[in-house]
Amino acid sequence: MFSIRPLVAAFCLSALAPLAMAGGSHGSHGDEATPNIGQPGVAAQATRTVSITLYDNYYEVDALDVKAGETLHFELKNEGALLHEFNIGTAPMHKNHQREMRKMVASGMMTETGMVEMDHSNMPGMEDMKHDDPNSILLAPGESGELTWTFSGDAELEFACNMPGHYQAGMVGEFSSN
Amino acid sequence: MRFSMIQGLILAIASLGPIGAMAGSYDLVIDEQIVNITGKDKKAMTINGQFPGPTLHFREGEDVTINVTNRLDVDSSLHWHGLLLPYQMDGVPGLSFDGIKPGETFSYQFPVKQSGTYWYHSHSGFQEQEGVFGPIVIEAAKREPFKVDREYVVMLSDWSDETGEQIFSNLKAQSDYYNYSQQTVGDFFDDVKASGWGAAFKDRLSWGSMRMMPTDIADVSGYSFLMNGKAPQSNWTALFEKGERIRLRFINGSAMSYFDVRIPGLEMTLVQSDGNNVQPVTVDEFRIAVAETYDVIVRPREDKAFTILAESVARTGYARGTLAPREGMAAEVPELRERPLLTMSDMSMASMGGMDHSNMAGMEGMDHSNMAGMADMKGMDHSNMAGMADMKGMDHSKMPGMENMEGMDHSKMAGMAGMEGMDHSKMMMGASSANSDYAPGSGLAPEAANGGKFLVYADLKAQVPFANYREPDREIELRLTGNMERYFWSINGIKYSDAEPVHLKLGERVRIKFINDTMMMHPMHLHGMWMQLDKGNGRFNPLKHTVNVAPNTTLTVDVPVDALGQWAFHCHLMYHMAAGMFRKVIVEEAVVETAAQ
Repeated sequence: MFSIRPLVAAFCLSALAPLAMAGGSHGSHGDEATPNIGQPGVAAQATRTVSITLYDNYYEVDALDVKAGETLHFELKNEGALLHEFNIGTAPMHKNHQREMRKMVASGMMTETGMVEMDHSNMPGMEDMKHDDPNSILLAPGESGELTWTFSGDAELEFACNMPGHYQAGMVGEFSSN
Repeated sequence: MRFSMIQGLILAIASLGPIGAMAGSYDLVIDEQIVNITGKDKKAMTINGQFPGPTLHFREGEDVTINVTNRLDVDSSLHWHGLLLPYQMDGVPGLSFDGIKPGETFSYQFPVKQSGTYWYHSHSGFQEQEGVFGPIVIEAAKREPFKVDREYVVMLSDWSDETGEQIFSNLKAQSDYYNYSQQTVGDFFDDVKASGWGAAFKDRLSWGSMRMMPTDIADVSGYSFLMNGKAPQSNWTALFEKGERIRLRFINGSAMSYFDVRIPGLEMTLVQSDGNNVQPVTVDEFRIAVAETYDVIVRPREDKAFTILAESVARTGYARGTLAPREGMAAEVPELRERPLLTMSDMSMASMGGMDHSNMAGMEGMDHSNMAGMADMKGMDHSNMAGMADMKGMDHSKMPGMENMEGMDHSKMAGMAGMEGMDHSKMMMGASSANSDYAPGSGLAPEAANGGKFLVYADLKAQVPFANYREPDREIELRLTGNMERYFWSINGIKYSDAEPVHLKLGERVRIKFINDTMMMHPMHLHGMWMQLDKGNGRFNPLKHTVNVAPNTTLTVDVPVDALGQWAFHCHLMYHMAAGMFRKVIVEEAVVETAAQ
């Protein structure tokens, strides 16, 4: 069955807010203090390489163990027919990001299968809508990608796809710190 | 046999063993017995002594044999709603087979080629209304595109203390027999106060000429609404542990009732409709037409009870159950919301053909603000409208969809001296109606109780795009027609007993254009083949077995014709079907034509 592992790491998040690296650049964020989720890493310094396949609409794995300070190099492949994301963040961060992704889909700049090339610079309220956070990667059907991340060990993190509805349908896994 | 007698089964993960050579055998006995559902003993029809019938658990790829024994003193049948199978196994007396005679057993045998949530019911007389129905759950051969910890069937139904025969004969004798909320003489005087004598009178006049009343949302009431066979006070309960993802398989097994479904405090992520996976869409509320199914995932993160509420669309009552961490808990049950009133928007112009406007005098107070769907007003003859001396007060500002008014002949409208004040400036010319499934201004268009997201059909996108998506080869127009007062329901104005069958060719792709000329919603159900609901999502158009066609709207579906035989195609409102809103569809091999001149 799908086990949900209890997370050991439970730190005070707000005190570490100034260290935040990856709050994202979508604009229109909520005002919750951003926790220290870690930072982008250098692939060459990674302690481990983890390969994860993305399907419609789930990840091959449900949970991953990471240690504080560890740098993981993720090799990701989307074997599904739909666009998926691999995003490292806390549950509230994912929730905010889902709101933005919904907006992007509703505006037509993103469909269920990919990003649409268009100029948003003149669209009011959409000027800074783009999908370029360092803690996240979007993969079109059949596409592969990489992401390297150094974990702080200071936040309860999940890897998640924030395409509308995918998280709720179960396309989310937990990073557990042991 | 694998009947689940208890509803709360914990989802067993598919075993990793090889699939194939699976053959399940099931025995079902249709009988009658006394049940007490609402506090009153009443004879019900049962299956294996249960009401509703037991949940049938199949596995995709399984060859099933279902032996159905009829212990009633009349013919019976079972139809596997939404299943793709040889037509002889579809269970419609007169089309698939002869029915099951009293005392006899019929063995249905077919391969299970699909997965998801479906249901089964009698296709004989009004037996479905009296208890001959139950859920079907088909486990997928492959991993599903979502992840859940538990699952429950939530079957909604309507229960009457009368028999189906009694209800139908009451309707035939007096169509508004069950309209308990008719507007009264008192309402009329309220309207007079609000809109003036002329308007109030004209309003009644036009409803009268439609043979409809604004409160005709559902034609039968006096129902109790049940969740898995339990009345609201019996509080059907589904258990969970906080943090779990729970799949709820909603099935509307009602004879006549639509529901608006919500779980206050929880969002629902819809992942399947009519047995077919859809891309997950998170909503606060959805409407389920008769015979539709919707699977949703909810994730309660608190250790408390939540009410599962299914209000009848006409707001005559609700089915109710509880999601709870422990037995015996209950959450607040919100008050029923106000019943909707049909508006002029729900009145199709086509069905107004017979309206006589020649005596309309004193129209100064008329509010046309909600008139929609007037795309083609060319044919309207206003030549005899007299006495419209002062139309200044008419507000057309909110009339949408009036794309094609250039041909209107007002030249003979007498006495229209004072039209200069008419404000057409804000008419929404051809503007889209934000994906609504209802005519703009319709009294039936739903809103979420919490102001949030209410599902619309355009939100349903197939999880897997359809491989052979293409333009249809041809189009068939089906006008849904009826006369409420005489309780005639028909297609293209012709009832089933007088109609020619619809002929389709194997391999063709046919677009069916439903035009609802009536003021009621009709859940149209095609047996044996999918309908691809066209809401502009192209190859992601979802596959459905039942589609709701709202009053005064047009809905198109594409049918990939892939199953030989003769199939039923009908409105799933039981008494509309009985009255004749039904067609036989015959699918034949495409004949290669020779070049004979």
